[in-house]
Amino acid sequence: MRLATIAWRGLLARPLRTALAIIGVALGVAVVAATLITTAASDAALRSATVDLLGKADVRLRAFDETGFTPRTVQSLRAVSGVITAAPVSERRLVVHTDPGPDEQVFSLVVFGVDPEIDARVREPRLTTGVSLSVDSPTDALVASSWAARHGLELGDQLRLDGRREGVPPLRIIGLMADTGFAALEQGDVLVVSRSTLDESFLVPAPIRYLDLDLGDGDVSVALDRVTDALDEPFVVETAADAAERLASAQASFASIGFLFGLIAMVVGAFLVGSTLAMTVGERTRELGLLRAAGTTSRQVLGLVLRQALALGVAGSALGIVLGLLLATGMIGFLASTRAALVAGLPIPPFGLALAFVLGLGVTMAGSVVPAIRAARLSPLAALRPSRQSGLGLSARLRTLIVAELVVVVLGILFLPMERAGTALLPLILSLALLLGGAVATAYVLEPLGKIIGRPFERIFGAQGLLGRANLSRDRVRTGLTVGAMMIALAAVVALGTVAESARAGAERWVASILPGGNAIRSSVPLDVESFRPTFESTPGLQVASPVLELPAVRRVDDGQQEVVLAGIDPNVFQDEGALIIAGAARADAYAALRGGGSVLVPASFAARVGVGVGDPVILGQPGAEATEFVVSGIVEYTIPARTPDGALLISAADARDLFGVTTASLWVMVPQPDVAPTVFASAVRDTATQLAAQPLTARELAADLGRSLDRLVGLFDVLALIAVVIGALGIVNTLGIGISERVREIAILRAHGMTVGQVQAMVVAEAAIMGAIAGVLAILTGLAVAYALVNGGASADLGGGFRVPWGLLVAVILVGTGIAALAGLYPARVAAAMPIVRHLKQFE
Amino acid sequence: MAPILEARDLVKRYPIGDGEAEALRGVSLQVERGEFVAIMGSSGSGKSTMLHLLGGLDLPTSGEVVIDGIAISGLDEEHRTLTRRDKTGFVFQFFNLIPLLSVAENVALPFMIAGDAASSHRDRVTELLVLVGLGDKAEHRPDQLSAGEQQRVALARALATSPAILLADEPTGNLDYTTGTEILDLLWDSADRLDQTIVLVTHDARAAAYADRVLVVRDGQIRDEIVLGRRRDHEARPLIVRLAELGL
Repeated sequence: MRLATIAWRGLLARPLRTALAIIGVALGVAVVAATLITTAASDAALRSATVDLLGKADVRLRAFDETGFTPRTVQSLRAVSGVITAAPVSERRLVVHTDPGPDEQVFSLVVFGVDPEIDARVREPRLTTGVSLSVDSPTDALVASSWAARHGLELGDQLRLDGRREGVPPLRIIGLMADTGFAALEQGDVLVVSRSTLDESFLVPAPIRYLDLDLGDGDVSVALDRVTDALDEPFVVETAADAAERLASAQASFASIGFLFGLIAMVVGAFLVGSTLAMTVGERTRELGLLRAAGTTSRQVLGLVLRQALALGVAGSALGIVLGLLLATGMIGFLASTRAALVAGLPIPPFGLALAFVLGLGVTMAGSVVPAIRAARLSPLAALRPSRQSGLGLSARLRTLIVAELVVVVLGILFLPMERAGTALLPLILSLALLLGGAVATAYVLEPLGKIIGRPFERIFGAQGLLGRANLSRDRVRTGLTVGAMMIALAAVVALGTVAESARAGAERWVASILPGGNAIRSSVPLDVESFRPTFESTPGLQVASPVLELPAVRRVDDGQQEVVLAGIDPNVFQDEGALIIAGAARADAYAALRGGGSVLVPASFAARVGVGVGDPVILGQPGAEATEFVVSGIVEYTIPARTPDGALLISAADARDLFGVTTASLWVMVPQPDVAPTVFASAVRDTATQLAAQPLTARELAADLGRSLDRLVGLFDVLALIAVVIGALGIVNTLGIGISERVREIAILRAHGMTVGQVQAMVVAEAAIMGAIAGVLAILTGLAVAYALVNGGASADLGGGFRVPWGLLVAVILVGTGIAALAGLYPARVAAAMPIVRHLKQFE
Repeated sequence: MAPILEARDLVKRYPIGDGEAEALRGVSLQVERGEFVAIMGSSGSGKSTMLHLLGGLDLPTSGEVVIDGIAISGLDEEHRTLTRRDKTGFVFQFFNLIPLLSVAENVALPFMIAGDAASSHRDRVTELLVLVGLGDKAEHRPDQLSAGEQQRVALARALATSPAILLADEPTGNLDYTTGTEILDLLWDSADRLDQTIVLVTHDARAAAYADRVLVVRDGQIRDEIVLGRRRDHEARPLIVRLAELGL
C-alpha cells in the first residue's frame, strides 16, 4: 500500500476532525479572500466613479471663491481655442423634502445643477433605471439609486426644495443613478437637476463650482494655459487622479480596517490550523509508532503527515475561495446598500484569490511542519508507550510552532496590498504583535487564570465545574492555542468596538468643541451679517447669534501658495461657551491674542503637517491680494470642517471683516440663554432655519450622524470578527473532541462511580465555557491594547480622537465568548455522555 | 435475610458481524451482606461481563440484577446511574484516578459527583485515607504515588460512600506480589471489620483465596462453587487443589 493511501485513509477515518480542520482553514481563507475581493470592488468603484464623474473632460476647474465662476466666464471659456466643451456644475447644499403629510421625509442633500444638453457632451450619467435630464423638462431630477432604495423612493416621486420661490413646481425623479459619477459623492446624498431649475427656484443663483473641460486631442497643458489666461477668477485645477484621491480619502477607514482584518483572520486561521494538526498528529502517535515499528522510515512518516496537511490545505483553501466569494457578495451588497463604502460589482481579483489560496495552504503547511517533524522523530517505542504527554516544557513546545506560524504571517503581510494601509503600518504591526503575544501568553496564564475564572463554574456546576476546569491544564499547549485562537477573534471584536467607541467619543468632543452652545444654522448661501442678524436674533430663547465668517484663502510659502480655508469667529462667544480644545498655549492667552487681532488658531493636523507651532508666523491672504502675517496663538484639536482636509484656520471675525472684507456668513452659532430647555431651543432654532431655507445643526444630531455612519462600517467588520469567533469555536470543538477521546476511560470511571449522562455533559460544557470565559477576559486586555495602539497610532484619521472604553461591549464579549464556547462544547459533550461505559473501561490508555 | 445482591438467570449476547456471541448463558447467584465472593475464570470466560452486569454498568440481554432490594435491570439510565452511585463501589485493574485531582479529591469524587458539600465528607475522606495508610498524602497528585498507593486511593474511593457492594475487577492485576498482597489485605479487612460486601473478579487463585466463597465461571456459566469460609491465613492451597480437581 502506498503511503499516500495511508495518509488519505487516515483523514477519512476521522471524518469529523478532518471536516473541522478543512472548515477552519476555509473560513480563514474566506475572510482573507472576501476582504481582498471587497477591496478590489472598492478600487474598481473608485476608478469607475472617477471616470464617470469627469467623463470626457480632461480637467476640472474648481472655483476658489465660494461665489464660484460667473456665467460670463463660462461663455468666454467656450470661445477659447482648444476648449471643445466647458460644462458648468453648480452646487448647493439644500434641505429637500417629500410631499407634505404624515410620511413626509426631510433630507439634507448636495444639489448639483448641470446644463443637460452641454453636460451630455461630457458625461453620460449611468442610470440603473429611468432617463437622463433633458432641456425640455426642467422639473426633472436624478437621485442615487442606493439613496432612493434606503428611503423608499422611486421613479415619479416628487421632491421639494426647502425655501424655494412661490409657485415653483416640485421636482420629479426621472432617473436613478448607479453609485458612480455624481452619485459617488457625498455617500450618495445628492440630487442632480437642471442648473436653470436650481437657479430659478431661488432668488440667488447657485454658484458654479466646477467647470469640466473637454480639451480635445491637442496638448492639454497648452490648452490649459490659454484657459488660465482667459479666466479672471481664482481657480484650482483638478485632474482625474485628484478626484480619485478625494473619493478614496472618504473611505480610508474602510481600507485601513479591512487590511487589519485580513491579518487578524490570517492569524486566527494560523493558530487553528497549527493546533489542529498538532492535535491530529498527537492523536495518531500510536498509529505512526506502529508504522515506524513496521519499518517506515522517518522521512516517510514526515511525508505522510505533510501529505495529510497538503490535502487539508488544498481542500480548505479551495472551499475558502468559494466561501470567500459568497461572503464578498454579502459584504459588497451590505456596503452598497448602506453606502458605508463605495463598491461596485463582484470583481474576481486573480492575484488576490491566488494569494488567499496560497496563504491558506502556506498556513496549513507551516502549521504541519512542527507536528510532522515531531512525528518523524518518534521512536517506535516512544510512540507505543501508554502516555502521550510530551516531555518537553511549555516554552519548548510552543517555540517552534510560533516561529513557523510567524513566518507565514510575516510573508502574508509582505504580500498583502500594503499601499492600502497608508501610514498606519506601525500601529498595524503593533496590533498584530499584541494579538500574537496575547495568544502565546494564553498558554502560560491558562492555569492560574482558569483557577480564578473557573470558580463561578465550580459553584454552579459543582464537581463537573471542578473537573472541567482541571481538564484545562491537561495539555496546556493544546488548550492554550485553542483559547488563544478564540481570544484573537474576540480581541478583534473588542478592538473594533473600542475603536468605534473612541471615534464616537471623538465625534462628540469634536462637535461639542466647535459648536458653542450646541446649536447652529448653516445656510446654503452666505447671508449678509448685518441684514440677517435680526432674523437670527429673533429666535426665542437665544442669548447670542454669532456668525462664522468663512473665506477661502491661501497660505504663502517660499515656493508658492497653499490653499486654506479661514473662519472668522467671535473669540468672546467661543471662550465664554468653553468651545475649542486648545493646546500649546493657555486658553485665555490664545483667546486674548485672537481678540487683539493678527492671530490665528491652527488645527493640530495642519500644525503637524506644515511644522508650525505657537508663536510662529503664518502668512495668509487671498489670491492676487496682499497677504497678512498672522501669529499662531494656539493649536486646536478640532476645528470647523472645510473643503481642505485640515479644516478651517480660525481667526477673529473682526480680522476676517477688516482684513479680508468678509461681511457674509453661512454658518451661524446659536447660543441659548442658560435657563432655556435644550429641546425647546433646538425647536426654535429649527423654526428660524426653516424661515431661512437653511439647515439647523445640533451637536447631538451631528454626533449621532457620525456615530451611525461609523456603526455601519464597524458592523460589517464585526460580522467578519464573528466568523473568526466561529473558527475559534471550531477549535474548541476539536480540542474537546480530542480531549475526550484521550480520556474515554476516565469518563467511563466517572460514569461507573455514578456520574450521570447529564453530569458528563455538564462537565464538558463547563470546560468549554471556562475556555470561552478565559478567552473573553484575555481578549478584553489584548483588544483594549490593540485599540489603544490603533487610536493613538493614527491607523486612520477617522478613528482618532480620544480613547473611550465600551464597558457594555466588554461584558458582552465575555458572555458571548462563554456562550459560543459552551455551544461548541455541546457536541463533544453529547459524544462523551453517549460513550458505552464497559467498552471504554476495557480500553488501555 | 434477603441477599444484598442477587442475579437471576442473566444472559448477555453481543452482536458480532451478522451473528451474536453469548458471553453469559443464564447465570444466577446470591451474595449475602458482608460476604466476600470471588468470581474466577480464565480470560474470555465471562467473569468481567458478569461483574459489569452486577454493578449496573451494562444491561443483560435477559435476566435481572437486584442490588439491596432494587431491581436495576428495569431502571432507566438516569436511575440506574444513581443506584450505582448510592449502592456500589468499583475498583479496577488500572487505578483510574483522575490525574488532575489530589488524592483527597479523588477519594471524595463520589461525594462531589453527588453534589455534597465538602464539609460534609471531609472527615470521612480523612478516615478512609488513614484506613488505606495514606493519611499523610492527601494533597499529593496521583502521579506522585506508587502503583500500590494509587490502587489504595482507588480502594478508598470505592469505599467512600459505604456502598452496599464493592466490585473489584482484577485489582491486583497491575501490581507486584507485595503490593498486590497489601491491597488484598485491605479488601479482606474491609469485609471483616467493616462488614463490607465484596465481589472480586480475578483469574489469580492467590487473590481468590481471600474470599469466603469462590464461583468458578467457564463458557458464560457458573460451573462450580467453592466455599472457603472467612479465614485469616488466606491460604491458597485448598483452592488450588480444588481448581485442579475441576481441571482449571
